[in-house]
Formats: sequence, structure tokens, C-alpha cells
Amino acid sequence: MHLLENVRAFSIALFLGLLALGALTLAADGPAVAQESEPSARQSRPAEPAVPIQPAQSSQPAPQAAPTGPAAGTGGDQPSAAASPVLQQAEDQLAQADRELKRITERTNAVEDDDAMLAELRAQVDELSKQIIAASVPTRPRLDEIKARLTELGDPPGEGQPPEDAVITDERKRLLAERGAINALTGRAENLSIEARKLANRITATRRAIFSNTLLRHTDVSVEMLSEAATATLHEAMALSRSIGGWLTFAWNYKRVPLLSALFLSLCAALLFLVGGYRLFSPVLMRPEEADEPTYFRRLSLAFWSTLIPTVALAAFAMSSYFFLSSFNILRPDIAPIIAITLAMGVVLFFIARLASAVLSPSRSSWRLVRVSDRGAKMLMVPIFAMALVNGLDYLLGSISESLGSPVVLTIAKSFVASIIIGLILMSMAWIRPVLRGDEPYDAPGHPWPRVISFSFLLLGAALIATALSGYVGLARFIATQITVTSAILVTVYIGLLTGKSVSRQGAFAETVAGRYLERRFQLEPVALDQFGLFAGLGIYVLVLAFFIPLILLQWGFKTADIESWTYRVLTEIRVGTITISLVGILAGILLFALGFLVTRWVQRWIDRNVMARSRVDAGVRNSIRTGIGYMGVGVAGLIGLSAAGIDLSSLALVAGALSLGVGFGLQNIVSNFVSGLILLVERPFKVGDWIVSGTTEGFVRRISVRATEIETFQHQSIMMPNSLLINASVGNWTHRNKLGRSEIAVTVTYDSDPRRIIELLHDIAAAHPMVLKNPAPNVGFTAFGDDRMTFELRIYVADVLTAGGVRNDLRVSIYERFRDEGIGAPFPMKIEDITPEEEVEGANEEPSVVDEEKVRSG
Amino acid sequence: MKTSAIIIASAVLSAGGANSATVTNKDGEAAVLVIVEGDSRVEMALNAGATETFCLSGCFLTTPSGDRVGLQGDETVEIVEGSVVVK
Repeated sequence: MHLLENVRAFSIALFLGLLALGALTLAADGPAVAQESEPSARQSRPAEPAVPIQPAQSSQPAPQAAPTGPAAGTGGDQPSAAASPVLQQAEDQLAQADRELKRITERTNAVEDDDAMLAELRAQVDELSKQIIAASVPTRPRLDEIKARLTELGDPPGEGQPPEDAVITDERKRLLAERGAINALTGRAENLSIEARKLANRITATRRAIFSNTLLRHTDVSVEMLSEAATATLHEAMALSRSIGGWLTFAWNYKRVPLLSALFLSLCAALLFLVGGYRLFSPVLMRPEEADEPTYFRRLSLAFWSTLIPTVALAAFAMSSYFFLSSFNILRPDIAPIIAITLAMGVVLFFIARLASAVLSPSRSSWRLVRVSDRGAKMLMVPIFAMALVNGLDYLLGSISESLGSPVVLTIAKSFVASIIIGLILMSMAWIRPVLRGDEPYDAPGHPWPRVISFSFLLLGAALIATALSGYVGLARFIATQITVTSAILVTVYIGLLTGKSVSRQGAFAETVAGRYLERRFQLEPVALDQFGLFAGLGIYVLVLAFFIPLILLQWGFKTADIESWTYRVLTEIRVGTITISLVGILAGILLFALGFLVTRWVQRWIDRNVMARSRVDAGVRNSIRTGIGYMGVGVAGLIGLSAAGIDLSSLALVAGALSLGVGFGLQNIVSNFVSGLILLVERPFKVGDWIVSGTTEGFVRRISVRATEIETFQHQSIMMPNSLLINASVGNWTHRNKLGRSEIAVTVTYDSDPRRIIELLHDIAAAHPMVLKNPAPNVGFTAFGDDRMTFELRIYVADVLTAGGVRNDLRVSIYERFRDEGIGAPFPMKIEDITPEEEVEGANEEPSVVDEEKVRSG
Repeated sequence: MKTSAIIIASAVLSAGGANSATVTNKDGEAAVLVIVEGDSRVEMALNAGATETFCLSGCFLTTPSGDRVGLQGDETVEIVEGSVVVK
């Protein structure tokens, strides 16, 4: 912007200079007029403060001008200036001011942090800018004369009018050239003055920064200082009202339509945000009056959204109005920063007020986020808002001072006042009684703060005021700002931690939006949701701390680079003695392990489902292979994870070697069981689903795991049998190679029956059953001559030994019925009691009537 | 109390004693002046017949006619036919 202005001024000067050169060659008697006017001009302004720079130069003739001449661009007006002593003198003064300004700029750069020297330089710059203006003032009367003469000469004749005298034309040309030269000179003075003001502002900004950044700097707080500050304040207020008033008048008169349309458009944007936000979040924002005791999470989300939506709407209004104002070219460079800061401050103050009222909820106790009494909540709102306001105003006025280039003393005085007010507010907070004990209702009168808190309020406030009064205004300001900002951050952290706590509370997560979504999407059980809630709570803790601790550190003046390097060191290199632990490495190790685990699972499933299921591999083998792949994958993932975590495997081997002796003794059983488990998987004496017998344990194998094998008995009792037992002892397996099994049924009949007939009958019965295999064929053995009866045994083969029980049942029923039909007599031993020899013959022919005992085979 | 009264009184006095130039537009139409005060160029609109106070501590003024003048801050300026008249 300024560059553009400079270029424009420069080109105008060049053009006018050339014009002046032309005029001079045309009119030789021009300078006489100028010289004549010079003394009168000097007499008209006798009290010029401009003179001190060059008291002896006024009478210097033209030849002197060339060496002291300024930049080449304005060289063109030299001949004209040479003709007029007034211009010549102004030219020389400007050139000297230019040199002086360069010298001061160099010195300013040299003494960056010397406040006293900077103050002195600033005074010099002020004096210089006065001189620059003073140098241009003497050209004014000459300009007036030229204008008057030009008016006398009148406009040049238009086309068709008779031509005027050549003398008049020449004089007009000459006068116009001189006028141009004067304007070019003034333009140069203008630019120089702008540069001087910029330098002055830079010096002030440096001094302000020195004041803000140097904490332990003693400032003399005295009546003079305060009165100086009050004067500066009045000046600043006048300057502010003038520039704002001027701007408003200008904008209203010349840019009314853009101004109004900018305001209208930004109001539209704000309305859009406000209505849209409320529409979108109306289910969240509704405050159902009947809900007496909303959950903590509900309260939090309401506080969050009811703070966020209006703040965003206001911010949208502020940003869009600034955007429209600046894009419609209404803002002026001196007004723009003031408007921007004011808008930003308004948004921040609104946000703080809104947040405080959402957290404290003074009118609705059931929606309050912190447990304080009704009265306490109302009273706490006041100092919180007041502190925010004072801090905000301090900042706002500071920025205004900066953009208006006010003296540093104003900044100091403002900070002084702000620190004292904040100290008083802090002390007043000690007397609020917001604390509620136990389960007191919200409308209870409330108790005072705990002694520690109220005492620290008083102490902090008093210390702040004392610091400010004793002259350490910079320190007081720093502390005051820190108290407000840090406590605001701490309150936010506290609420964040409360959120984490309330999310991880049992059953709380299921009521949140995320919880409901997870429940709907993945059909999660309440237990799983609860675990999610626990993780979410932990995550919130971590996020809150990871975000706000650096924020507080930054507030306290630590640099981002420091925090970064600390974080980096904490994450990558924690030294404990000679051991270096890297959190990132450990995390990467865990991640790699998890990844390896997932890949293993995926490979397991893929091989199981696609390769083995298609190849009709036996279920037990599939299980073995799956388990084997699982062990291998987890082992490899573990190794990768360990090496990624930076744990040296060779040193681990050393440790393992040293420990192996101890392990050999202490973990002997476990290791032997583990190895046995591996052998079981490789050798496969039994598989999952087999029916095995080992010692007294009999049942189906349900699972072969690292240490033990789970066997489920027929009574559904699970027995964990250590793998080593299954390796060392003999194991019977009914279903090892195939499920074919033999089953026997004992049949006893009296000696009255014909054994051949019995064998034939039994054969028939067995062959009739569909589940009895034809090959190997069933056979019948005549196994024993008992005292009273003969014993036969029907041996049958079934395809699946597990079905043998049912087959035997069927066969027994068939045998019983067949024998009864054939009149053979009971196929089982009968006790014959108190039977006389005569009756015995009759009894033997009778049908069996009483079943006393059956030989029961297991299974 | 006494101190603050002194401070305010002295401030008012010193502020009242500060320089300021006034500009009056004698033309029949509004004029736009470019004022260089401090480190920025500012456009000031002046309605016909209006008077404005400006230039607390020296400034440069560019008139509608394109002439530039330096002001020390205690002048009375009139705009006549788009041109500046310093009194």
C-alpha cells in the first residue's frame, strides 16, 4: 500500500520535474519572479521552527544544490529549485533530514534493547518529523502566489478562440512548472515524514515489547508519570474519536451503499449460523423442564453446545463484517486493526460470559456443572466476567495505542490500573461463599471457601497490588494476565477431566450419542460398551492433558520449540541410569505386535476356511494347524514388537541364558506342559472332539491349549488335564483313526434253550438293525456255562462308536421281544428263590416276570 | 483524591493546549482531502460548509486540486474552489 503510494508520488515528481525543466528552458525570466516572492514569504512566517537545521543555507546559490541533491528521480526539479531560494532551502533541509533519519534508523537497529537510548532516539525522531513539516511550510506562500497569478492569467484559449500572447503562454507554463515542483517537494517531505513516523512507531513498539517482556523492570510510579499518562490518554482518546469520526463521516458520505450492504450481508451470515446451528442441534439444546436430574453428560453437552453455537454465530458475524468491510474497500489502514481487535475482543468476551454462565448456570441449579450454591453461582459470575473484561480492555486499549502510536507510558499506566483492578477483584472473590457440603440443596446459603483457597485469593490479590504499587508494573501485568488466563484454562481442564470421569462411569457411555451409535451399529453388549466408555474416558483425560499442558506452558512464556524438544525427548528418550526407554518405540512395538496378531488371525482364518475346509481336512487337524499357526504368528509378532521397541534381543538372550537355570527349576512343570502341548499338536494322539480315556478320566477332548487339555466328561464336567500327563501316561482314544467301534451285548438264557437257535436269533436281530455294519459282520459268541444259565455275547460293529449306546438299546429291546415271542425265556439271569424242586420245572417253563438285575456295561 | 484531581486537571489543560488545525469547506460541494498524519494516508470527507478539526501534531494535506501543503497544526485552512487557502 505504502509502496504503491511511494511509487505514485515518485512518478508524479518525475513527471513534474521534467515539465519544470522544459518550462525553464522556455522562460529565462521565470526565476526572477520566484526570487522576488521569497523574502515576503519569509517575512510572513517569522517564527518558523524549521530554520535550526540549516541557518546559513538560505542564501546559498544554485550550484550547491547538485551535490546535496536527493534521489535521482527528483533530480528533474533541480533547475527550478535552483531558481527559487525557497525551494532550494527546503530541498536542502529535506536532504539533511533524510540523512538524519538514516542515521537514527541505524542507531535504532544497533541499540535494540536499551530502553533509555530508544526513548532518546524517539525524541529525536519526533523533532525530526516536526522539522520535515516545517521545511515544507515556507513553500506555502509561494504556492498561493502562483495560484493567484494563474487565476489572473486565466485558462489557456480553447480551440477556435484567438491565440493569446506568447509571453502569457510562457508565464503560465513556467508557473505551472513551479507549482509542480513545489508539489513534488511537498510529496517528498510527506513520504519522509511517513518514514519518520514509522520509525517512531517502531521504536515505541520495541519499547513496549521491552516493557512487556522484561518482568523485573522497575518503573517509577509517580504523580508525574500518571499525569503524563493521563495527558497521553486524552490525546489518544481525541485521536481515536477523530480518526473514527472521520472514517465514519467519510464512509457514510461516500461509501454508504457498500457500508450498509456489508453490515446487511454480515448480519445475514450471523443469522444463517444462528438459525442453522439451533435447527441442527435443537434435540441437544432442548432443556426439558421435566428432567429434574439430568445426567452429568447431558449437562455437559448442553453447556458445550449452548456455548458454541451462539459464539460461532457471533464470530461469523464479526468475521464476515470485517471481510465485507475490507473487501468493499471501506476500511482505512489506521482503522482496520482497531476494528479487527474490537470485533475479536467482543467475540472472546461473549464466549467467556457464555461459558461461565453455562458452567455455573446461575438460574437453573440442576444444570450446573460444578457443585456450588445458587447464590454462590450468581456471585461468581460477576468477578469472572469483570476479570475477563479488564483483561480484554487492557489488550484492546494496548492494540489501539499501538495502532495510534501512543507513547509507552500509556501502556505502563494501563497495565498498572488493570493489575490493581484485577488484584481487587481477586481479593473480593475470597468473600464469596459458594461451597456446598455433603448433600445440601442448591438453595442452601453456602459455606465460605476452604481456608487455603480464600487465603490464596487474598494473598494473590494483595501481592498483585503491592507489586504494581512498588513499580514492578511489568511483573504485575504478567501475573494478572497469567492468573486470568491460566485459571480459565485450568477450569476448562477440570471440566474436561470431569467429562472423562463421567464418560468412564459405569453405564454412562451407553447414553451418549457415540455409545448409542456403537450399540446400534455393532450390537454391542452393555459390558463391551462399558469397556468402550472406560477407554473413551481415558482418551479424554489424555487429550485434555496433552492439549492444555502445552497451552499453559506457552502462556507462561515457554517457547514452542522448547515444548517440542521436551515432548520429543520424553517420547523418544527417557533415561533411567544407563537404560534408555523410548515411549514411541514401545508404542510402535505394541502396534506392530497388534498388527502381527491381527495378520496371524487373518491367516489362520483364511487357511482354515479356504484351504483346509475345501480340502476336507479333518476338523482336529484343522484345529492343530490353526493353533500351530497362531503360536508361530504370535511368536514372530512378539519378536518384531520387541525389536521395534528397541529391546536388544541379544541382551535378552543373555538374560534368558542366565535365567534358564532358574526357569529350569521353577517353571519346569509349565515348560514341560507347554512342550507336551506342542508335541500333542504335532503328533496328534488325539484331536479336538475325540473320545479319550486316560486313567480315570474319560470324555471328549474340547480344547488343546498351551498348558492343559480340556476334557469334557459324559456328565459335562470339564477336566483340565496337564499336557504332560497326556504325553507320559497311556491314552485310550476311541476315535483315533476312525469312529468304527465294536459293542457287546451279553445275553443269558437257561439250559432249556437251544444254543444254536439262540445264536441264529441273535444274528437275525443284529442283521435287522440298520446301524449295525455288515462288514465287519456281527458275531455271536457262546462265552460261558454258568451255574444255572448259558452266557452268549452279541458283538456288533457300528460306523460311529458314539451311536453304539442307542444301537445297543434298540437291540436289547428287540432281543427281549423276540425271546418272549419265541418262548425262550428271559435273556438275563434270574434269581430263583424259595423254589421247591417240584416247582422248579414248572417255574422254568414260565415267562419271566421279574427283572431283578441286568448286567450293565458302561457306555 | 487531591492527586488524581491534579492529574486530571493538568491532563485537561495540556490536552486543551495541544495544537489542532481546522479546515472549512467553502465550496458548494463535498471535498475529499487526503491527510498524511502519523504513518498513514487518510481520506477525509468534508461536506459543503462543514468545519473539521484535524492535524494534532503536524501533517500534510492534499487538496482536490492536487496541491500539497504541509501544516504545523495551528493553522486555519479553507477549501476554496477545490484549492487550499491557509490563513
